[in-house]
Amino acid sequence: MNEFVMALGWVGIYGPMALGAIGSVIGCALAGQAAIGAMIETESGHGRYVGISAMPSSQVIYGIVVMFTLNRAVTPEAAAGMFGIGLLCGLALMFSAIYQGRSCAAAINAAKAKPEIFGLSLAPAAIVEGFAVFAFVFALVLSADLPGVK
Amino acid sequence: MSRDSYITLITSLPYAGELFSVSQTPISRIQLEARLSFLTPEDATQLQAIEGLLWWSSHSHETSDAEIAVETKRLLAELKNEWLRQLIRQRMEFRTLVAALRRRRRGASAPDLNADWGFGRWLGVIYRNWSEPGFSLERVFPWVLEANRLVREEDHLGLERLLLGEQWRALDQQGEGHYFDFEAVVAYVLKWGIMDRWSSYHGEGAVRRFENVLDDAVGEYAQMFA
Repeated sequence: MNEFVMALGWVGIYGPMALGAIGSVIGCALAGQAAIGAMIETESGHGRYVGISAMPSSQVIYGIVVMFTLNRAVTPEAAAGMFGIGLLCGLALMFSAIYQGRSCAAAINAAKAKPEIFGLSLAPAAIVEGFAVFAFVFALVLSADLPGVK
Repeated sequence: MSRDSYITLITSLPYAGELFSVSQTPISRIQLEARLSFLTPEDATQLQAIEGLLWWSSHSHETSDAEIAVETKRLLAELKNEWLRQLIRQRMEFRTLVAALRRRRRGASAPDLNADWGFGRWLGVIYRNWSEPGFSLERVFPWVLEANRLVREEDHLGLERLLLGEQWRALDQQGEGHYFDFEAVVAYVLKWGIMDRWSSYHGEGAVRRFENVLDDAVGEYAQMFA
């Protein structure tokens, strides 16, 4: 039983990074496809489309920071907490990256048709980013209370 | 083709804009075809079948109502996507109603219920309410009374404007919630067809052509009346 709990602890350590990376991969790919489509249609502003499509990459960075914060001696006392924080934070980061990718794709499509709404069209993606930051910050706060800091 | 694969295609299509505010389509047919090459062969075939049924230009003058009704039923049986089936059903019912208005204007009596003259749920209602201005379908088709008035007054341009506007509005409604999928592609292509049709109406060009035809017809006799 202890071995299983310890394994969960390791999942908790690597989870935020891996899930954040999966989310960022999907999110950036979705927004990137939109950027490519917009580049076919428009004559200028290509750089900003590519810039928007990179927005969902922040989640993997948050995931890496959480991973290092949780990285400590895996003990039966700490493993369950590490698993809970790591996995749930990772899931939050993953879904936020995917849906931020969709928001970015919609923003690129809208900004291509109406360049004057470029800034405002990014608001939904920024709001999604805000939720990812919540998940990230509170994972850091809670991990400070786990036993066995290195 | 996965749902997300349509993102590049959709974003590569220019904004359709407002129907009556444009003098030409936002993208040429050649360019549109090039963009549609992103579609898988299956999607392209489906789109072609839908366009073939819903665009008048793809039917010859010899194509009968019965043949179109048969083709509609065949395509509906073939399509698995309920959104597409609903789109076709609504458009064919729309056409059936307009055909009924025109038939009545020509003085025809109510078409036989067994005849394949139209398509959809309202054939019986139209038959029973042939003498009513809007076939008692005003609640379902709020534009029918206005269309009836335009048909009676033979205001062809006004009628065309009303019908194209209604088709555009219906596509807007049906396209809600579809942003990066095949349904959005179909809605865009059908809107392109409506824009193409409207932008091809050119009043001054028509007058010029009429004058040229008249000049050619009158020809040498023109001096006789000078």
